[in-house]
Amino acid sequence: MNPSTSASAAKLGTRVRVPSRLVPALSLLVGVATWELIGRIWDVSFFPALSEVVAQLVELIRDGRILGNLSASLTNLASGFGISVVAGIVIGVAMGMIPIVNSALDVYVYALLTAPSLVFAPIFFSIFGLGRGSIVALIVVYAVFIIIINTADGVRSVPIELIEMAQTYNASRFQIARRVILPAAMPMIMAGLRIGVSRAVKGMINGEMFIAVVGLGRVVTEAGGRFDAASVLAVLLVIIAVAWAASAVVQIIDRRLTSWLPEVNRG
Amino acid sequence: MIEVKGLTKKFIDKNGTTVEAVADLDLTVQDNEFVTVLGPSGCGKTTLLRCIAGLTRWDQGEILIDGNPVRGPGLDRAMVFQSFALLPWATVLRNITFGLELRGADRETREDKAMELIGAVGLADFEHNLPGTLSGGMQQRVGLARALAVEPSVLLMDEPFGALDEQTRRLLQEELLRIWEARRITVVFITHSIEEAVILGDRVVVMTPRPGRIDDITNVPLGRPRANPAEYAAATRTVAELTATLWERLKQHQPDSRAGGTRS
Repeated sequence: MNPSTSASAAKLGTRVRVPSRLVPALSLLVGVATWELIGRIWDVSFFPALSEVVAQLVELIRDGRILGNLSASLTNLASGFGISVVAGIVIGVAMGMIPIVNSALDVYVYALLTAPSLVFAPIFFSIFGLGRGSIVALIVVYAVFIIIINTADGVRSVPIELIEMAQTYNASRFQIARRVILPAAMPMIMAGLRIGVSRAVKGMINGEMFIAVVGLGRVVTEAGGRFDAASVLAVLLVIIAVAWAASAVVQIIDRRLTSWLPEVNRG
Repeated sequence: MIEVKGLTKKFIDKNGTTVEAVADLDLTVQDNEFVTVLGPSGCGKTTLLRCIAGLTRWDQGEILIDGNPVRGPGLDRAMVFQSFALLPWATVLRNITFGLELRGADRETREDKAMELIGAVGLADFEHNLPGTLSGGMQQRVGLARALAVEPSVLLMDEPFGALDEQTRRLLQEELLRIWEARRITVVFITHSIEEAVILGDRVVVMTPRPGRIDDITNVPLGRPRANPAEYAAATRTVAELTATLWERLKQHQPDSRAGGTRS
């Protein structure tokens, strides 16, 4: 046997190796322990220990406040994000394919992407009133612009030879959009959706906190008003779970739609 | 029959100056003829092909296919690209049926046609592979099958084997000849390789550098079939002589050539 390979094998054997899929779990464990410790040692009223928060969460689930509001929130999220996906892709494809549409809309899209979306809350409130409509509209403002920009960029980066290839087979503009541009731009579109979905969750909570009639955001606002830190953090845990689940769903769809991409090209 | 009459195509380059890519070019290609086009880089040979394909508009002149003026891409022509231009998300089968699908052919017709061609181009058992899992030579077989699937009367090939290594290139040349000898369609084949131009073509067209014009058209005195090199083994000398003659001709147009002696 080659001495150098046996030496390096021995060296590798002495190292403690943690399987990489265990790292997130370990990291989470450290975070949980730290939260619990700090909460106990450092006795401030607005940072209760994790165990207190979890106890409060169980309490909130038991009296039904979480589930009822969670389903209201998820309905808002699904409507707002659904509208954002459809509108974002349609507008993005139009901007990517038609230069005049791009020149006309570009400035607005970038302005609205950078603008703090929450300033739209009072505007929607005055238009749609005290209800779902305002929250859904706010979610759209949070999520749609990044989807538009990514879609338009994805469309513009489609290799020209694929489009010309389709043209040589006499493809119509619509056929080219559907059969060449959309699938070719799909990795970029899905990247936009991944960012869009977490922005949509943010919009949902901000909207619900501001308008405070339905949803998890209302629970947060009410608990905050009572200085009930444990409830605020308990709902925060639920919101994080919602965000995580929503992006997991987008990621699963992404993997299915872009399974043709080589593994190294994944963002 | 392809008739190119007085074709002139101008570009505006980055500095805003007008460049003539092709100037007053005439070329006639007979039905079922295999014409290869040679020329220095940037001589407008690809422009010529793109004009025939209907992908590029031109400034003056006309192009007729069987007497009908070219106004854009058409069902009578299909193109094979140097970069293969395959859809990376679609299987070999779906790439090959792409043109037929756009024309609304039903699934059975499409797949029958595709399976026939998959056999003809040597892709059997790869029909469910994605292009990314295939070698360059295999990818270009897909490109060729896709073009043949729509049964064009004119096949336009833009340096189709230019991105392949020598051995793969030779293999594909032989397969192209075998397929063409069985189907006999009109082929316009752009290439950088003098030998390739001679082995494949009935006639070799040499173009001048910008602006592209026809410099010379040479008949290839080799019989058919030629798919198997043994079939023209006796004419090896002819191939070598013709290659040398064409090279002498092309060399005069090489911008960095001193050997030609015709340019200072």
